[in-house]
Amino acid sequence: MNYPAWDVPVIGSGLVIAAIAIFHVMISHFAVGGGLFLPMAERYALKSGRRDWLEFLPRYSKFFLILTGVFGAVSGVGIWFSIGLASPEGTSSLIHNFVFGWAIEWVFFLVELTTAAVYYYTWGRIPDKLHLQVGWLYAGASFATLVIINGILTFMLTPGQSWLDVAGTGEEPTRFFAAFFNPTYFPSLALRTLSCIALAGVWALVVGSRIDAQQHPQLKTDWIRWTTWWLVPGFVLMPLCLFWYIKMVPGSQLELIQLGISTIGTGTFTQVTRTLLVSVMASATILAVVYLAAYRKPVDFQIGYALAILLLGVAATGSAEMSRELLRKPYVVVDYMYSNGVRQVATGTQEPRQELERFNTAGYLADTIWATPDEKSLWTEGPRTAPPDSASPAENAVLAQGELMFRGQCLACHTRDGYRGMQRLLHERNEQAIRNILTMLHTPQEDSPYRAFMPPLAGTGLEIDALCAYLDQLAHPPVAPAD
Amino acid sequence: MSDAHDERGERASAAEPPASVTRRTVVGATVGLFGAGYTGAIGYPIYCYLNTPVARAEEAAKVTQVSPAGGRQLPPGAGMGFMFGTRPAVLIHHPDGTWSAFDAICTHLGCTVKYEPDKDRIFCACHLGTYNARTGEPTSGPPPRALTQYHVEVKDDEVIVSRS
Amino acid sequence: MTRSSSPAVERSWRSRLWDFCDERLGLAELLELSRHKMVPQHAHSFWYYLGGISLFFFAIQVLTGMLLLVYFQPGPSAYESVRRITYDIDFGWLIRSAHSWSANLMVLALLAHMFSVALMKAYRKPREFGWWTGLGLLGLTMTFGFSGYLLPMDELAFFATKVGLEIPASVPLVGPLLAGLIRGGPNVDANTIQRFFTLHVVVLPVLFVLGLTLHLYLVQRHGNAVPPGEEAKPDSTRRYIKFFPDFFVKDLAMWLIALNLLGLLVCLFPWQLGTQADPAAAAPDGVHPEWYFMAPFQLLKVLGSWLPGAVGELAGMLIFAVGGIVWGILPLIDRSSDHPRAARFGTWFTWGTIAFVAGLTAWGYLAL
Repeated sequence: MNYPAWDVPVIGSGLVIAAIAIFHVMISHFAVGGGLFLPMAERYALKSGRRDWLEFLPRYSKFFLILTGVFGAVSGVGIWFSIGLASPEGTSSLIHNFVFGWAIEWVFFLVELTTAAVYYYTWGRIPDKLHLQVGWLYAGASFATLVIINGILTFMLTPGQSWLDVAGTGEEPTRFFAAFFNPTYFPSLALRTLSCIALAGVWALVVGSRIDAQQHPQLKTDWIRWTTWWLVPGFVLMPLCLFWYIKMVPGSQLELIQLGISTIGTGTFTQVTRTLLVSVMASATILAVVYLAAYRKPVDFQIGYALAILLLGVAATGSAEMSRELLRKPYVVVDYMYSNGVRQVATGTQEPRQELERFNTAGYLADTIWATPDEKSLWTEGPRTAPPDSASPAENAVLAQGELMFRGQCLACHTRDGYRGMQRLLHERNEQAIRNILTMLHTPQEDSPYRAFMPPLAGTGLEIDALCAYLDQLAHPPVAPAD
Repeated sequence: MSDAHDERGERASAAEPPASVTRRTVVGATVGLFGAGYTGAIGYPIYCYLNTPVARAEEAAKVTQVSPAGGRQLPPGAGMGFMFGTRPAVLIHHPDGTWSAFDAICTHLGCTVKYEPDKDRIFCACHLGTYNARTGEPTSGPPPRALTQYHVEVKDDEVIVSRS
Repeated sequence: MTRSSSPAVERSWRSRLWDFCDERLGLAELLELSRHKMVPQHAHSFWYYLGGISLFFFAIQVLTGMLLLVYFQPGPSAYESVRRITYDIDFGWLIRSAHSWSANLMVLALLAHMFSVALMKAYRKPREFGWWTGLGLLGLTMTFGFSGYLLPMDELAFFATKVGLEIPASVPLVGPLLAGLIRGGPNVDANTIQRFFTLHVVVLPVLFVLGLTLHLYLVQRHGNAVPPGEEAKPDSTRRYIKFFPDFFVKDLAMWLIALNLLGLLVCLFPWQLGTQADPAAAAPDGVHPEWYFMAPFQLLKVLGSWLPGAVGELAGMLIFAVGGIVWGILPLIDRSSDHPRAARFGTWFTWGTIAFVAGLTAWGYLAL
């Protein structure tokens, strides 16, 4: 507990990240796919001498520049802000491992932003061939940003045995490339590239729907037909790539999907299977909807439909990203760090033991900087479960200790009274039942259903007592006598 | 690309019937594939939904008795899980030497339950439901019904669990 | 088209089947009719799809409703049978969640349909009966929702029905009598489920199908209305698309999107079942009816606390009765663009109603 906990009421920090990340993915994938789309469209227009396309493309690239350069860039920074707050230990691990990767990422990012601006402002001002070359340069730079960030994203799901062998020894950078080109790297890169191409098509449809069909019927028809083809590669190849990706996911994580599929009939199946289903269903439908609504009669294609297709795209992309995140449960980095920030393997050569084991014997809060020594001294003795109506300092200390435990180990995924809220989950359980759950989480059995998606609870017996007292008070708040 | 496509389409319909047939076949096949996909995705759950009582009855009829491996070696005051056909079941050797066996699927939400010797109860970890270890009746927590009890017959070298 | 009956020509089985059906059912005429049907195309024509979307959700309601009937038992075992559907029967959760979610989406689509129709002034002559049948169908749908919500008989359903019945109970004079008749006794119990069930699966469907037939007939007869701004344009600049196949195909695409939205909600937020209703237990905090009854509920609540006793209820009922009547006779007030004052009144009254209902609903949720 070296970092403050980020306490987001009602929705929880996870959903804040999810909202920012899905917004960002919709735009950043467009930035990469659109990087390919723009020079391809320009090349087509130049080759076939389409003046109307060459007049329309600058308008399109303005939309592109504003959307990706402003909203895409800002939301990308937003992701790092929010994950740094929600899971500081995890973010710190990523930075320590991939600081070099990020340096390269930022170089390409700068090239990307610069070329996008140059591309827009030099329409008709420099020779066509040179302008097209700027477009290709942009395409290359934006694809390179995907190539790099993909390594860091996939690392969290499959860090790879080679990296895990040295994790916690301080030698991690020597396995940089093994961690970067990890088992799911290439299938994920293929999936994301296909999704980029498809999203470029979806966004081009949105823009194309705004072309005035009465003034430019030919432009509208051709533009929409041409962009529709951008959805086809994803539609055909994505199932194969998804299969490849799932092949590379370790069995322990696939259990979640398998459990979901085997219990899909009865209402208990896992969230990851459900989100995966949504993603498959929405992706499979997009092409049909585009064909029926846009391709058949492009001149009748209006913005309302384009937005509905974009919405389907958000559903498909969002749920795919969500299932990828859920697949990682109960870890931040699989087999290395749990979602509560506790490391599974040794944290350094100085301390060869497991962090979890150290927390269980010495105390999770032993080194915390969020309590004064005076406060800490109150934790060692006194009643562990105080009646709610008394207000003795010892009881407050217990509750304060419990709250620190809650902030450290629960708040990353749960809220008090909202999303995955403790009050809803616990209000039907008495203190003994809450203690049972905590004990079960503290000493997880192999066959416990919680083991697949919740991390072990770290701490000494006294700390767990304090957490229990805090949760009990949270779930059953003392009622004012007047009520 | 689109121009070429249109031209091809027009030419095809005017002068080259074979090409037109191919295109029609592709469109037809795609539409058919979509239709089949949606029919399957909607039809399969409906079939399972309507078929549940049949499937459950067949499942129940398939296996009438099993002899859990190592069942006879179970010491008093211990329980073990085994499969009764396709369903998990639990065999209990009570401290007083008597035996019980139950279906191990919690009647609340379908998690697998286990025997807890120290508290002499059957416990479901998912929502903390408990059952009486001798009758299978729910004693606390959310389970609405008793676990199905099986008949246990103890022989010299094996324990036979059968549908009672 | 192929009305030839000469047997000399060798014909495929398809065209023979077509002829067989066509001669007896008059399919060619229908096809001819649909070929001539045109749908206006303009900046607001997206709203034309909402009626179709509502219809699609209704179709899902019928299908999933019939499937639920296979296992649902009204009366004292209602809760247990819904529990069995949700957690025991294979894919029961899916059918039940689809039924609940599409009910909510249907009400939402209908409200959007109604308000867009009002803003496009599609209630004007000769479409007054379309407006009235539409209002009737909305009323039936909300009654569907109210009666269906109780059927699982869990805690939430029980108390939501209890508080929801405060609305009819506050009708002056006959209110208590009415509420008693609806409940089938002084309390919400197995009797209430039985009669809500009858209402939900027999009475309302029959009425709804009758109303829907009339509504669709009227839509077919008068065609789509265009908003006044579009109507003012010269004929030559107005555009139309063919209903079949162009509009129909887009309808189909819209239904696919609606189906995906439903699938998303069902998969990510499957409908849960609360604990069994216990009439003796205290009502849980913040008990409230379904969102589409929130506006009248909140109005009664607020007026009840501002004005003493029955006066508050009376005032609330009066506001709704007068508002509802004006809403109903809107086509008689705002008859054509020739009367600008009446037309302005229609527009402002529609916006006012939207703001009033949305505001009360939001207020209701904030005040929970």
